Amino acid sequence: MRVIVRSVSELCITVGTLIVLFVVYVLFWTGVKADHTMSDQIHQLQNQWSRQTARPKAAPTPTAPAKPAAYKDGKPFAIMYIPRLGFTWNKPVLEDTSVDTLKKGLGHYAGTARLGQVGNFAVAGHRRTYGNPFVDFPELRRGDAVVLTDGTTWFTYRIDKGPYKTVPTDIEVIDPVPRKSGYTASGRYLTLTTCDPEWGHSHRLIVWAHLDSTQPVEAGKPAALRR
Amino acid sequence: MYGWIWRHLPGNAWVKALISLVLALAVVYILFQYVFPWAEPLLPFNDVTVDNQ
Repeated sequence: MRVIVRSVSELCITVGTLIVLFVVYVLFWTGVKADHTMSDQIHQLQNQWSRQTARPKAAPTPTAPAKPAAYKDGKPFAIMYIPRLGFTWNKPVLEDTSVDTLKKGLGHYAGTARLGQVGNFAVAGHRRTYGNPFVDFPELRRGDAVVLTDGTTWFTYRIDKGPYKTVPTDIEVIDPVPRKSGYTASGRYLTLTTCDPEWGHSHRLIVWAHLDSTQPVEAGKPAALRR
Repeated sequence: MYGWIWRHLPGNAWVKALISLVLALAVVYILFQYVFPWAEPLLPFNDVTVDNQ
């Protein structure tokens, strides 16, 4: 009898400890890891870009600019800045939206438009865990800037509509011209998606934006990022 | 269970305590490195896209 009571209590203590550790892992450790990986990705991008800008000066090509390289799955290709989410808020944008990719930054829906191109550049990010990139997503308002850079150009998008709440199966929100967004003609759009409620998965929050302006990186940061 | 482990550890109480600590840290490491990363995607916080369901 005593052995049974002891074993059961030991089991309860073990399970309790496991749960506490798991909560610590989800709430705290994924954030530590994600912050580390994301700043790694950003450094990687910045290194890559500084090498790229050094190269064309050495060998100027008179031909038409080469077709931009395709985005590689799971690799970063841009940095996103959203002043509304914090002046220091910046996250790498990686290609595809697999679970592993979203641990390292924001994920670009494969098959949607490229950054700055005609169509819908759609990006997903975590609301909670993994550094909570989109924790303040509901704060986004019409007119807010979403700034991206791919190393050669700054793209400033302006939010037109959102946050719009929908269900996870509503895949038309990332269509080239999303029906619910109010856009009627094709254009250069951006869609951000995250989960709602914060800790749940029953709904999604969406914002839509249009490309407002672009400028080469040599021209300095766009107005939206200057204080 | 814990009593059984304690009885089977070698050395005096101090050595046993030290080995227990190392064992506990090893278990936490394995959990954080392998078990939790596997278990975490099973929770709903990863569903942030609109097309994976």
